[in-house]
Amino acid sequence: MGWERAGGDSRAMTPAPLARHILSLADTKRLLGIRYSDWLLGSPSIETGIAASSMSQDEWGHARLLYAMLKRLGFDPFEVEHERPAARYYSAPALDRPFSDWAHFVAAVVVVDGALSVALESFASGNFALARSRVPKMLAEEAYHRRFGTAWFTRLAAAGGEGAARLRDSAGAMLPTTLAWLLPADDAHDALVADGNVWPEDRVRDQCSRLLGGTLATAGIDLDAVEPARDGWDPERRRGSGAPGEEAVERARGDRNRDLFVE
Amino acid sequence: MRTGLGEDVYEVFARKNRGEPLRHIGYIDAPGDELARVYAWKTYDEENWFEMCVVPRGAVIPVNRVEGPWAGNVPEGTHGP
Repeated sequence: MGWERAGGDSRAMTPAPLARHILSLADTKRLLGIRYSDWLLGSPSIETGIAASSMSQDEWGHARLLYAMLKRLGFDPFEVEHERPAARYYSAPALDRPFSDWAHFVAAVVVVDGALSVALESFASGNFALARSRVPKMLAEEAYHRRFGTAWFTRLAAAGGEGAARLRDSAGAMLPTTLAWLLPADDAHDALVADGNVWPEDRVRDQCSRLLGGTLATAGIDLDAVEPARDGWDPERRRGSGAPGEEAVERARGDRNRDLFVE
Repeated sequence: MRTGLGEDVYEVFARKNRGEPLRHIGYIDAPGDELARVYAWKTYDEENWFEMCVVPRGAVIPVNRVEGPWAGNVPEGTHGP
């Protein structure tokens, strides 16, 4: 198991559907943690910065647990966490670049973190035993992220003006690629659904609407009308074209601490 | 009771185990009840709390003392214990 070379091409290494799914969740959490961490200072209040710090650490802790699951599937967790270049990251495209302002941060908490919650809920209720045992604790922590996102999003939306416009623009820009990330339309994902490891698309969309639809509507966004954007779909990485910025990946890999690793 | 940023101050109470009394563990500033719940949980996360509650500082009515953080909440016409 682990990486499988496709067609003898040494550069193309395709993980099996379950491993691809876990990598996609883990990388998205790792990148989201980095993007949250950019706002530990400079957020609107000390308490908000502390919450951003805690959420950032939650995401990294969850990523760690998810990467560890890959060991059971034949992967070397060290290689997965610390050796891959940016072009081999499976994270949601909405996290490829830093958040431009606080409204962007808040929109990401609702859209990307919200999509992660739906994905994890689906995974936790599927047939993969490690997900059933380990993901519920993540979901309990994610509930606070959702409260944070909902409260800030509705507050900014209700205030109107420039802040509400930036919030709507940021959420609107992230939604199509994030929905594509959440709902891959390819054979590997169909296999996951067929094996009962994740929910089918209609159930995922229903849960998205239930968890996120009302919040997004406060900014004038109709979630049910948003179509997934699958341009440049990369079936290996379960996402559209592009890759996270090199600086973020250097942090994700821990490049500066490489000499201090003890694992 | 509002801060300079227009936020409210919330007192935070928690207990580690069922049956223990709630203990005052600190306070946070928040722009509403929902964010107060999140900020309190994320700020005072050094323990594995069994229960945590937040109370708007403006809702705390002093009984025997009329100075301190709750002095402004003394009911009108009341002067001391």
